[in-house]
Amino acid sequence: MESSTADKDIGRYIARSAESYLAPDGKRLPVISLKTTASVANAQGISAKEVEIAALKQGIVPRRYLRNMGTIGLAGQIRLLQSSVAVVGAGGLGSTAIELLARQGIGHLIIIDNDRFTESDLNRQIMSTERNLDRYKVTVAARRVRKINSATTVTTFREKLSEENVPNLLGGAQVVVDGLDNLPSRLVVEQACRRLAIPYVYASIGGFSGQLMTIFPEDAGLSLLFESSSNTMSEQGIETKIGNPSATPAMIAAMQVQEVVKIITGIGTPVRNRVLLVDASEFAIDGIELRR
Amino acid sequence: MPLITVRFYSLWRSYLGTDSTTLQAERIDDALTQLEEKFGDRLREKLETAGIRLEGKMEDYSLILLNGIALRNLKSTELREGDVLHIFPPGIGG
Repeated sequence: MESSTADKDIGRYIARSAESYLAPDGKRLPVISLKTTASVANAQGISAKEVEIAALKQGIVPRRYLRNMGTIGLAGQIRLLQSSVAVVGAGGLGSTAIELLARQGIGHLIIIDNDRFTESDLNRQIMSTERNLDRYKVTVAARRVRKINSATTVTTFREKLSEENVPNLLGGAQVVVDGLDNLPSRLVVEQACRRLAIPYVYASIGGFSGQLMTIFPEDAGLSLLFESSSNTMSEQGIETKIGNPSATPAMIAAMQVQEVVKIITGIGTPVRNRVLLVDASEFAIDGIELRR
Repeated sequence: MPLITVRFYSLWRSYLGTDSTTLQAERIDDALTQLEEKFGDRLREKLETAGIRLEGKMEDYSLILLNGIALRNLKSTELREGDVLHIFPPGIGG
């Protein structure tokens, strides 16, 4: 009862603080600015995320999400803010995914990585800079998220994945994003996601190419692609030798983030039971339906 | 003898300079032998130009699907007219 009264108070407070925004189509809609969000949060002793959710529930759009509205709407944005997404690996794929997930307005990010930035990361890992070399990727990523979106909370784990620790690291996530660079770790994460009933957005890259598949707990997943060949493939995989130009991880990570948004909002159709093969050298995108 | 289509994706397509080929084969292992004869050397030469030296045959470092089914345990499967083999490098990096 108390919380409902408090919610109403917060709701009224937000409504009083709302401004009117003239959209490009000539319609007006109520919005709140970042500054107002911060001052309401401060005055009411709640988080920026709680203010944004309370505003959206009344049809008041935080200005920062105005360009999200046409695709996911108020309800979709609320779902994203209430969600928790884990990104396993904060390297090429992972760091771009983290950046975009924060901008999209995911409420909570779990970031797992035990590496530090090195000079060879600078060509493609979006959070690496000349000044933060030798810094842990999770530390840099958490700081970056806080700079991008004060509503997004972050939990970091500076740990190497193992079968033992992975359930603890991923517990509580609604979706897991693959930022890994080897097949054995992917198989460990996939198995944990299956046990925890969490969708897993697999992706990998090599050269100008990448591949992606969204795996729900009931889907056959990576076994559809790799069968029993995982050991030889991980040793023979040419991707680690050929490297990646700057845009390849950004291109594929952006597609992973679209998958996350679709899974959480229920909009669109995730890439399930088929592998999407993207080749930027010829600019071809192919989807192959996978069967057992 | 069944006529099948082989489709190349991602790096294999750009290295081989084509996205598909057709061949006639009774069984998958026959098809793989023909593929290796026709494309194996060309693929390895291109890989070497990129500084990558691989031992073995194309099938050893490719993912291969027959009509969308992973090939590993299907090598002795008999092919049917119109079957499609998909072949591409495994995704590893991130």
